[in-house]
Amino acid sequence: MLVKRARRGDMGAYDDLVKRYQERIYATLYHMTSNHEDANDLAQEAFIKGFQALKSFKGGSSFYTWVYRIAVNKTINFLKQRKNKSQMSLDDLDFNAEHDPDLVALISEKTPRREISLTELQEKLNIAMQKLSEPHRLVVTLHDVQGLSHEEIAKIMNCNIGTVRSRLFYARQRMQAYLSDYLK
Amino acid sequence: MSMSPETENFDQLRRLLAVKRHEQPPPGYFHHFSSQVIARIEAGERADDPVGFVRFIWEGVWLQRLWDAIETKPALAGVFGAAVCGFLVAGVIYTDSPTSVRSPFEETMKGTQTAQVTPPGDTVIEAPPVVLSQFSSQSGVTPVSAHTLLDDASRSGFAQPVFKLGDGQ
Repeated sequence: MLVKRARRGDMGAYDDLVKRYQERIYATLYHMTSNHEDANDLAQEAFIKGFQALKSFKGGSSFYTWVYRIAVNKTINFLKQRKNKSQMSLDDLDFNAEHDPDLVALISEKTPRREISLTELQEKLNIAMQKLSEPHRLVVTLHDVQGLSHEEIAKIMNCNIGTVRSRLFYARQRMQAYLSDYLK
Repeated sequence: MSMSPETENFDQLRRLLAVKRHEQPPPGYFHHFSSQVIARIEAGERADDPVGFVRFIWEGVWLQRLWDAIETKPALAGVFGAAVCGFLVAGVIYTDSPTSVRSPFEETMKGTQTAQVTPPGDTVIEAPPVVLSQFSSQSGVTPVSAHTLLDDASRSGFAQPVFKLGDGQ
C-alpha cells in the first residue's frame, strides 16, 4: 500500500500519491483562490505538510480525505490573511468549453459572440465566487464544480451533512443573485 | 421558503458553474508538479543535518514547522498557550517572592557592614570592607552601629563574618 510505504520514507510511493491526487487538490484550491500561482503554492505546501504529518495519519479516513482537509485548512487560513488584496489570475478555458452542450445553450441564448462571452462569463463567475465566504465557496466548489457527495464534503469540512446542505443552499442563492444578469 | 437545495431551481446556475470545470492550468503543468513537491520535501530534510541547523534557526524554519504543527493539530495551540501562561505566572510568582535576591542598596541599608554586589549572573563580587572608623567625627556624621541578625548569628557562633571590620585605627 502506497501510504504505508510513504510512511516508511519511500519517496517513490509518496510521488505516486501526489500524482494520484494532484489534479483534484489543485482544482479545489484554484477555485477557492481564483489564482493559479496561489493554488500552485498552496497545493505544494499541502502535499509537503501531508508527508511531514504522515506519522500522525491514523487511517481513520482515506488518505485522500485527510490530505484534502490539510489543503483546505491551509487555503482558508491563507484567504483570511489575504482578505483585502485578492487578485485573480485565471487559468484558460480548455478547448472543450466551446463545445459543452450546456454552455453552448446557455451562451447562445445570451449573445451571438460566444468566444468573448465565455471569457467574460468566466470572469464574472470567479468574481461571484470570491464574494462568497470561504466555507460557502468551498461547498459550491466541492459539490457543484467537482461533483463530490454531501458525505464526502462533510468529512473534508469536519461538519455534519445538514450543515453542508444548508451552506450549499445559501451559497447557491447568493450566486444566483450575483449572476442574475446571466440567468433567466 | 424551503431549505432543501433540491426543491429550489438551481439548474441554470449549475449549468453556468460548468464553466469552472473547463478552467485548466497551462499544458504540462502537472508533469513536474510531483517532482517539485518531492524536491521540496528532500530540501526540507536536508535542513535537519548539522550544517542545516544554522539555517534552521536563522531562517525561521523552526517557526514555520511550529506553525505547521499547530495548524495540523489545533490542540497543540492550546498546549502551547497554556505553557506560555504557566511560564509567565511562574515568573510573576518568583519575582514577588520575599526570598529573592536583595539589591546591594538593600543590603547596605540593613546594616550589613560588608558590601556585596550581585550582578545578574551567579558570581558574587565581594567589595573591600568598609571601615567605619575612618569616618571623621569632625564631619558631624556619627556612624551608628546597627543591630542585625548577622550580629546575633556571629555572637552565637552559627556564622562567621566574611570580613572583619577595621579595628579603629
